[in-house]
Amino acid sequence: MLFSRLRTKLTVLYAGLFGAALIAISLVVYASIAANARAVVRDELMSSGTVFDRVWTLRADELRGSASLLSRDFGFREAVASRDEATIGSALENLRVRLGIDMAFIIGVDGRVTGQDPTALKGAEARLMQAVEQEDNPSGVLMIGDTPYQATATPILSPTLVGWVVFASRLDAKEMGALERLSAIPLDAAVLGRDDKSRAWVAPPGVSGLAGGEVSRALAGEIDQAMAAKAPEARDFRAPGGDALTLVKPLKAIGGDGPAALLLSYPMARAMAPYSPMLAIIILTGAGGITVLVIGSWMLARSVTRPISVLDEAVQRLSRGENAAVEPTTADELGRLATSFNAMASEIRERERRITHLALHDQETNLPNRLALDRAVEALASEARRNGLKLAVLSLNVNRFTHVRGAIGYALAGDMMAEIGQALQRLRPGDPIGRVANGVLAVAFPVREVDEARRIAAHLQHVLEAPVRLGEHAVDVSLTLGLAVYPDLVDDAALLINRASAAVDQARAGHRGLALFDVADYGDPHAKLSLMSEMLGAITAGDIFIHLQPKFDLRLGRSTGAEALVRWRHPQRGMVMPDAFIPMAEETGHIRTLTEHVLSLAIAQQAALKAQGFDIAMSVNMSGRLVGDAEFCEEALQLARQAQGELCLEVTETAVIADPQRALENLERFADAGIKISIDDYGSGLSSLAYLKQMRAHELKIDKAFVIGMAEGQKDALLVRSTVDLAHSLGLKITAEGVETAMVQALLTAMGCDLAQGYFIARPMAQADLAAFLQRERDQDAGEVRPKRSRPAAGAKIA
Amino acid sequence: MRRCPALFASFGLAAMFLAALAPAARAGDVAFLVVDAKHKPVGDAVVTAYAAGVKADQIHFPWPQAMDQHNLQFDPFVLIVPVGANVSFPNRDPVRHHVYSFSPAKVFELKLYGKDETRSVRFDHAGVVALGCNIHDGMVAFIKVVDTPFAAKTDDKGQAVLKGVPAGQVQVHIWHPYMKSAGNEIVRTVAVSASGAPLQTIQIDVRNAPDRRGSY
Repeated sequence: MLFSRLRTKLTVLYAGLFGAALIAISLVVYASIAANARAVVRDELMSSGTVFDRVWTLRADELRGSASLLSRDFGFREAVASRDEATIGSALENLRVRLGIDMAFIIGVDGRVTGQDPTALKGAEARLMQAVEQEDNPSGVLMIGDTPYQATATPILSPTLVGWVVFASRLDAKEMGALERLSAIPLDAAVLGRDDKSRAWVAPPGVSGLAGGEVSRALAGEIDQAMAAKAPEARDFRAPGGDALTLVKPLKAIGGDGPAALLLSYPMARAMAPYSPMLAIIILTGAGGITVLVIGSWMLARSVTRPISVLDEAVQRLSRGENAAVEPTTADELGRLATSFNAMASEIRERERRITHLALHDQETNLPNRLALDRAVEALASEARRNGLKLAVLSLNVNRFTHVRGAIGYALAGDMMAEIGQALQRLRPGDPIGRVANGVLAVAFPVREVDEARRIAAHLQHVLEAPVRLGEHAVDVSLTLGLAVYPDLVDDAALLINRASAAVDQARAGHRGLALFDVADYGDPHAKLSLMSEMLGAITAGDIFIHLQPKFDLRLGRSTGAEALVRWRHPQRGMVMPDAFIPMAEETGHIRTLTEHVLSLAIAQQAALKAQGFDIAMSVNMSGRLVGDAEFCEEALQLARQAQGELCLEVTETAVIADPQRALENLERFADAGIKISIDDYGSGLSSLAYLKQMRAHELKIDKAFVIGMAEGQKDALLVRSTVDLAHSLGLKITAEGVETAMVQALLTAMGCDLAQGYFIARPMAQADLAAFLQRERDQDAGEVRPKRSRPAAGAKIA
Repeated sequence: MRRCPALFASFGLAAMFLAALAPAARAGDVAFLVVDAKHKPVGDAVVTAYAAGVKADQIHFPWPQAMDQHNLQFDPFVLIVPVGANVSFPNRDPVRHHVYSFSPAKVFELKLYGKDETRSVRFDHAGVVALGCNIHDGMVAFIKVVDTPFAAKTDDKGQAVLKGVPAGQVQVHIWHPYMKSAGNEIVRTVAVSASGAPLQTIQIDVRNAPDRRGSY
């Protein structure tokens, strides 16, 4: 597009069209003026030509009449006849002066000139003789040198022809000036003759106009053409000095060849001169008109385009989400467009507001949502940083929310959260709050120090843990609060809400109502994730291996089994605790690969020990997540076929909770394959006697928390004893974990416990060490000597 | 050119008279036809011949030695007279005439004289005398004064006859007032035998008579 702005385009278009029209009109006016002027000049030239003819004839008649009178005067004739030159000369001079002519002389039949110096005639007498040969009384233009003369030659008859009286009047600039004055227009007149020798047209010296100076070749050609025309007519002549109109009339010449020419000319410039003020006015008017038009169309275009520009800017503001309303300035289409635009903009803004509201609010409670709170926290964090303050985010979890919701229904649960939210907002007016999860609210507020935040949190908890009235009902609310403070507890403001939630988890883990986020406790989930990505490589590289912890048969007094415990020696991090990667492996699904790896290692080492003469029942922990995994079961059964001794899979009771039917089926399949099932960590967590009844287990492993507690309290000892009895009653063997002292071992032995496992017996160890340990036991059995063990080793069992 | 028919009669009689006088054995007649460039006959041309041994005295021509003025014209237009002749100028017009001549052969002036008055002028020198009237420019006439007996002027048919011209080589002058040549005449030599000579056709170049229409 040539013009990027409508205004310029309209202006140029209008001005261009009008200008073109104006120029066309001016051209037409100029052309008609020029044609008119040309016609006037043409007429004037023609009439001047006619006047000249008349004047010429009158003068010729006058000359001829005078000459004729003289030539017939008896005395003059007598003087001529008697060759009385003095008399002749005086008579001629007398008449010349009286008539006001330039030359008067006699030329005899013999060509002799009297009354005039023959040299002044410059050979003109020859032409005169030539003329009188052809004509008695010649009259016309006689060229004397360069100068044309109007001349007449009248015979002197006395009575025979003796000569001619010649009168000649110069046709010079002065003479022609007189003729020019006869014309209504100041035209230029000149009589041109032909040079004697060169035959070129010559003009008398001193004439003005076209013929002034030397006759140009172009003018000579023009004259020749005009002379060739039938009737004299005005013609255009393109002279170097400008166009001119010319009229050429042939004039009879005396002697010589060809007629002379009367040249009347009038420059067109002079013809146009009277019109030049008018033309100037037209041009000025046109220029003025164009100026007015340019300004006018610019203003018009602006009035048209300004609302468009305004709309254009408004659209851009609208796209930026700013206020886009425009003021309708006119009642025309543009005004209506502006009104429509305003309506559209306000609708868009309203819709946007609604969308934003939806995006930033929880629909159930109409409280701000997590996203809204995120934004608010972000803004507050930077503000707090600027002000040297800290930003606290308090996460308020309604305890047992799902239970409550189950009890009162979703709608009322939502109402409850709304009530709590409103109460929270009333307590912390101006502070951003948000519903970050179903039963979780959060509030952010700036504080000077962490303790201030803690105090506020405690106060809020106190106030908010009042029964909420929902219609006719009152619901008791208990809250667990997590507090994260930036930058003291959390270095990244964006994580504040997450950390507050984590703090809630930490509070719950510690059975507290309020916890500050504990970064040490939280660990580094990011590092855990990266460990997972390294796990498969570590399995292949052999960095993940197993240690074996002996299971001591209290009755036999020697170790009959071992539990395989996974270990990871990380090339950079050193030994990685199972706690650091087992839960993550469960979450990420790596647990299956890991368990299969452990299982195959355990089977292989069992075989190796057997080869050394030690028959060991090998226990492998199986994650609850894998119990329901049919594929894993297939794989594990496949591996188990290669086992050269007893295999035991240790699972927790809770492993069957997620999908009891499938889990129990799988356990049946293991049991059918001869694999023993051990219920691990019995007594901790949600032990269910129902599952205990359904599970086809062979062994019960009592949680070490009870076993360690036996040494100190009576209660634990009772629990252990009753559990041992319970297991035996159900036909299960019982294993006690966490046996760390001789006394506990003795107690367990006394209680009838079958197997013991713990540091007092042995720490987990490599296969070779286990072989050596078993060898020592065998030796001791023979010598009844108990070895002393104090080797420190970090150990933890799987899951 | 205008001439009086009466003159032709006298001219004819004179020719016959001359022929009767001439010695028959030693002379012959010579006839001339004068034409112009376009072969048209030219009248009023004067043919004169000069023969050796012929005396110029006592020359008589058979036509009247008179120049009439009649109807504002001279009559005849050309008059041949011998040297020494007295020529009368009778005015037969009711108006006066002022006859003059500026010719070198005879300069004279006959000032205003009226009807039926006669003046006479004697011409002593051979030559051409151009006559004009100062009052009437249209009047012009020529008197050819000759010093030979052999002279004649052509008639309307351009014919003229010289009678009794002696045999031998004869110089013949042909003159016409408007002939384009020096002295308005040309010269021819004609061989004349006893029986005369064959017809002599003479071509001359004659200009038009001067225009006298503007005359008063």
